[in-house]
Amino acid sequence: MSSFLKIAIRNLLKGPSTDPYPFGETFVPKGLRGKIKYNAKACVACRMCEHVCAGGAIQIREVADKSGLEFILWHNTCAFCGLCEHYCPTKAIRLTEDYHTAHKQEDKYRYVEKGFIKYVNCAQCGTPMVPIASELLNVAYDQVNKDIEKLRHLCPKCRQERALR
Amino acid sequence: MKKLLQKIAKKSPWLYRINAGSCNGCDVELATTACIPRYDVERLGCKYCGSPKHADIVLITGPLTARVKEKVLRLYDEIPDPKVTVAIGVCPISGGVFRDSYAITGPIDKFIPVDVNVPGCPPRPQAIIDGIVEAIKIWETRL
Repeated sequence: MSSFLKIAIRNLLKGPSTDPYPFGETFVPKGLRGKIKYNAKACVACRMCEHVCAGGAIQIREVADKSGLEFILWHNTCAFCGLCEHYCPTKAIRLTEDYHTAHKQEDKYRYVEKGFIKYVNCAQCGTPMVPIASELLNVAYDQVNKDIEKLRHLCPKCRQERALR
Repeated sequence: MKKLLQKIAKKSPWLYRINAGSCNGCDVELATTACIPRYDVERLGCKYCGSPKHADIVLITGPLTARVKEKVLRLYDEIPDPKVTVAIGVCPISGGVFRDSYAITGPIDKFIPVDVNVPGCPPRPQAIIDGIVEAIKIWETRL
């Protein structure tokens, strides 16, 4: 009896264990995998995310006027598995800790994360190409010097010519 | 009398859960939201009920497999109008990772009018509470 009383009094002093969520603040565990955030500036359009996406949520395709590539992620089929983040070489895709996903049926097909990668022209021949992000250079080289910085603005063909010269 | 009942009913929608071939992930989260004092949906006036005839808000999990399709539709027809439907998890919304499988007849909005979507695999209890709050708002307009 006394042990029961002890527990009852202790629980009384501790206060409610209910999370006050819809009426108050809540907590987020560290490292929670939630909605995806995409950074078009760091993306090099390698399409690895599209390839590994378990739910088939990611699409990278050329826009109609051929001025660049469009990244589309439909949250409604994303399983938060994090494979895209894991395989992204430049960390252009990040899983945020935002899990507030409830929305109305009208917004079902509008609930997407979008990004646009605008083509740049090759500094030598002018062919449109996907810009090479500085994040990728940092992954590929220890130190980025001026020569590498020059190669960055060339299309693969011109880059090859420059390297062979 | 009817007006008084409407006023009272608004405060206590009853929840009913249909499993349309779910992997049990979302069902566990629903059980968590309902039974664990930390989340506790009953604070919102909701109550889980065992019979579809008492239900006001329907929570559907799972991608509607070919095996349970008829049973789910029959069950859904037993729920009296007006009702609000909430799809929990990515499976009922789009098919999720099971999309284009031969065993799946969903997504669920092909057969059942859905009002609120709560994507996630599975969604967090707080996200489910968000969805239920949204559903209660719709429920108040339908009464």
